[in-house]
Amino acid sequence: MSKELIRLRDVCMAFDDELVLDHLNLYFNDKEFLTLLGPSGCGKSTTLRIIGGFMTPTSGDVLFDGVRINDVPPYQRQINTVFQKYALFPHLNVFENIAFGLRMQRRPDPNDPTGKKLVKIPEEEIRQRVMEMLEVISLKGFEHRKPDALSGGQQQRVAIARALVNRPKVLLLDEPLAALDLKLRKDMQIELKRIQQQVGITFIYVTHDQEEALTMSDTIVVMDKGSIQQIGTPEDIYNEPKNAFVADFIGESNIIDGVMLRDNCVKMYGREFPCLDGGFEPNEPVDVVIRPEDIDIVPKEQGQLVGTVTSVTFKGMQYDIIVDFRGFKWLIQTTDHCPEGSRIGIKIDPDGIHIMKKSKYSGMFGDYSSFSEEYDELDDASLLDEEESEDET
Amino acid sequence: MKKRNSTFNRVFTFLVFLFLYAPILLLIVFSFNAGESSTVWQGFSFHWYRELFQDRLIMRSVYTTLLVSLLATIIATFAGTFAAIGFYSLRRRQRHLLTTVNNIPMMNADIVTGVAMCLFFVAFFSGWSSFATWVNGIQSVFELPTRLTLGFGTLLIAHISFNIPYVILSVSPKLRQMDKNLVDAAMDLGCTWFQAFWKVILPEIKPGIVSGALTAFTMSVDDFIISYFTAGSSSSTLAMTIYGMTKKRVTPEINAISTLLFITVLALLVITNIREARMEQLEQRRRDLPTATAAEAAKYSSPSSSRLPAMLGAGAAAALVICAIWVAGRNAGKPVVNVCSWGEYIDETLITQFEEETGIMVNYQTAESNEALYSLLKSGAGDYDVVVPSDYMISQLIEEDMLEELNYDNIPNFALVSDRFKNLPYDPDNRYTVPYAWGTIGIIYNADMVDEPITSWDAMFSTENAGNVLMFRNSRDAMATALLKLGYSLNTTDEAELREAKELLAQAKRDGVYQSFVMDEVYQKMEGGNAAISAYYAGDYLSMLDNTDEPLEFVVPEEGSNWFVDAMCVLKDAPHKEEAEAWINFIASTEANLANMDYIWYASPNEEALEQYPAYYEELYEEELDPEIYEIMAASQETLDRCQMYLVLPYETRSLYNKLWTELGI
Repeated sequence: MSKELIRLRDVCMAFDDELVLDHLNLYFNDKEFLTLLGPSGCGKSTTLRIIGGFMTPTSGDVLFDGVRINDVPPYQRQINTVFQKYALFPHLNVFENIAFGLRMQRRPDPNDPTGKKLVKIPEEEIRQRVMEMLEVISLKGFEHRKPDALSGGQQQRVAIARALVNRPKVLLLDEPLAALDLKLRKDMQIELKRIQQQVGITFIYVTHDQEEALTMSDTIVVMDKGSIQQIGTPEDIYNEPKNAFVADFIGESNIIDGVMLRDNCVKMYGREFPCLDGGFEPNEPVDVVIRPEDIDIVPKEQGQLVGTVTSVTFKGMQYDIIVDFRGFKWLIQTTDHCPEGSRIGIKIDPDGIHIMKKSKYSGMFGDYSSFSEEYDELDDASLLDEEESEDET
Repeated sequence: MKKRNSTFNRVFTFLVFLFLYAPILLLIVFSFNAGESSTVWQGFSFHWYRELFQDRLIMRSVYTTLLVSLLATIIATFAGTFAAIGFYSLRRRQRHLLTTVNNIPMMNADIVTGVAMCLFFVAFFSGWSSFATWVNGIQSVFELPTRLTLGFGTLLIAHISFNIPYVILSVSPKLRQMDKNLVDAAMDLGCTWFQAFWKVILPEIKPGIVSGALTAFTMSVDDFIISYFTAGSSSSTLAMTIYGMTKKRVTPEINAISTLLFITVLALLVITNIREARMEQLEQRRRDLPTATAAEAAKYSSPSSSRLPAMLGAGAAAALVICAIWVAGRNAGKPVVNVCSWGEYIDETLITQFEEETGIMVNYQTAESNEALYSLLKSGAGDYDVVVPSDYMISQLIEEDMLEELNYDNIPNFALVSDRFKNLPYDPDNRYTVPYAWGTIGIIYNADMVDEPITSWDAMFSTENAGNVLMFRNSRDAMATALLKLGYSLNTTDEAELREAKELLAQAKRDGVYQSFVMDEVYQKMEGGNAAISAYYAGDYLSMLDNTDEPLEFVVPEEGSNWFVDAMCVLKDAPHKEEAEAWINFIASTEANLANMDYIWYASPNEEALEQYPAYYEELYEEELDPEIYEIMAASQETLDRCQMYLVLPYETRSLYNKLWTELGI
């Protein structure tokens, strides 16, 4: 559909012998909204900084429109960045912040036939372009404010305008919404998507928030420990996770050991379940993913499996209940109330079962024995930023 | 209960402030005293401030202080800012390590820093000397100076190095507060690193840089100890000059200059603090702002208000530096002579006169005592041409081959020196010295406070005036009084005799004879009528008479006393020997001796000056010079015959002196 703009070829990055990116191969299409998604320390910010030119990869190539740009400094790349916490210049007002990039620019003098003479952008044009940008971000009338007299959401939009005014081919966004509160974050997600469609350029977006990624992206790249786990559309990633890590990281998943007896039939807990997957060796051990919302609760005599409810949490739209099936705990989301300690049966439709090949992540995820802690971890992760979190204090 | 507590608190607070500020307040008040006393108020006047601005020694050191402080501040601010940025970009562990290393010099005792720098410079110079000699030996294209000395350069280096940590300390927090993505953001938007520094980092850390510079400047102006060890002989900061002046006595002029210094430092501190407070307030308000209106926001963040004063300040600083460099350049290359003498020991108009007549610049400095001078010379920090030590110290210097033989052809005025002061025991063949002044030690007493005139050293040891006697606070002079009373030689090396003398002092001390052991505090005590008896120098007695209505008398006791000569000598390998001899010749002239005698109240060794002084006095003050006074000033040969000179003591005896002095516990 659209052409390739940036390619990372065999990119490695190491800090003090610690491999942060492990032979990364990735390409980005023009006008696409691509999200790098992964937990803290997975290398997504590093990838972004390499594309932005703030880091040079230890090995491998960065290609822009087919040209190697490893050693091109940031100020010579047609790429702009929106930083975590915005990095607006506190001593400049909104107008000057947005105009900053334009004032730095030199371009060939249109009146010079040789085209070698470089001139500044005329003040009139700067004013016009900044005002246009203010319109795009709906902040007209704020041009004389200093950044610290703006709310977080407004600062965020100024940061985006400051980058976009330079008409880059690519906009990099490094967890730009992490510092906003939930409500504002939701609004900004829609706003960002709108802006991207309006200006029609490539957005490369870094986040650890899977919901954000699912909402905005055309393509999601799930990363862990410096390598890519899966690339795909949000639907692909959610519905067809490649391994236990992806299944667990995107949404909630119960991951159970199973054996693929034949196409469309998997065996768990000694029982056969019909499913829609195929192409495995007969009797191949597999990971079975069952989303909490795909499980129906039925009277225990009708259930494919029977288990005991060990915990119930009210979530508003539904209850999150933890059910113990022979020592392995499942998360089930249901609108029915099942009291703690009751025995229930469950039924899973064939399209609710997703079969994955075994991977190094098998057995690490998908058990809800320590349900509450897992939520805590996610919360913590949102407070941290990546590699250089040590330098924060 | 509560009420009483708060009263108590208030009184307590008041007392704390009183203790803190009363001395400074007193100093400020007395800087406006019309009279010369530091204890008696004689009316309001700006006299001492006027005097101050005419005092070339002080004005020159003010100039040196400003120049060194400004240059050191500028360079240290520059270096410190970039160092802080360097620290900032390091990883945390290295940064912590470096920050600690940076903090140590600030915590370190100044005296250690000062001595260490002095030693370092001296060591470097000696290394340089061999290197330069070697370089000059193997080629003849250019010639390196082989002899480097402590001076303005080393003073500046020292100031820069102790200022840098303060700049780093105040810039670092600003860098840490800064969003670390700002530089990346600027580079992302088209800046090179240096443009990013200029457009983004600098405006962010500017408050830190300014307060760092102010702190550095304050520290520089304030510093005494480190300057003292690194300034060498050719430069003297204000603090050093004040210190030199207080050696003799605290004149109201010192009050005046100290007041100015205090006010300068206070002003700088106030500016720094107000700045910081305003910054914090601004920050606070900005933090609270998101709810405020745009108009208010614009008000708090308007940048234009601080532009003009900042530019004016920068302009003034630049002008000062240019001015200073111009003056320094004008003076560079002129012949100079570095002189080290005692405080209040010369009529300073003589220096100006000499400079005008010969075109030779005089760097005039003062030392505290013979012993202090000796250690200064030994350490290599005292790079003087001419020194004016006392007799016994001269012998020691000759013994240690630290003096240069003089070429008396260049000092024709030596012929004017009375034969009585030639070929004295410290320089038997008179090859090294030209006498400067001489005098006697005696007993000063307040006639109203003693029953009958004092004639004997007994008075220094008898309980009759217990609690009203002042004794020397230096071992040689104090022991001398006891040796004289016991009838022993002042130069005895006999341990038993010395122990007996020490026991005499110890007994008197136990009996409460001594109010205190003093040097220059003697002025206040005797002038104010706070003590009855004191052993001290004749010249100082005469100075006291000028400032008091107390009936003070001076006597050279019947047992005899010490008489001393201070003489000018040139140090071995002095770089400006010719200029030094010109200076010595000038000071040895009759006119100079007359002026000096009148100023310092010590007798001249110049035969003509001794004869002409009474007439000179009469012409100047339109009153006759009291012959009794003149006899005290310039004792007759008869009196001198009763007196002994100090000779240099053997090493063991000097150690014994130190030991006994320590045992005495003063």
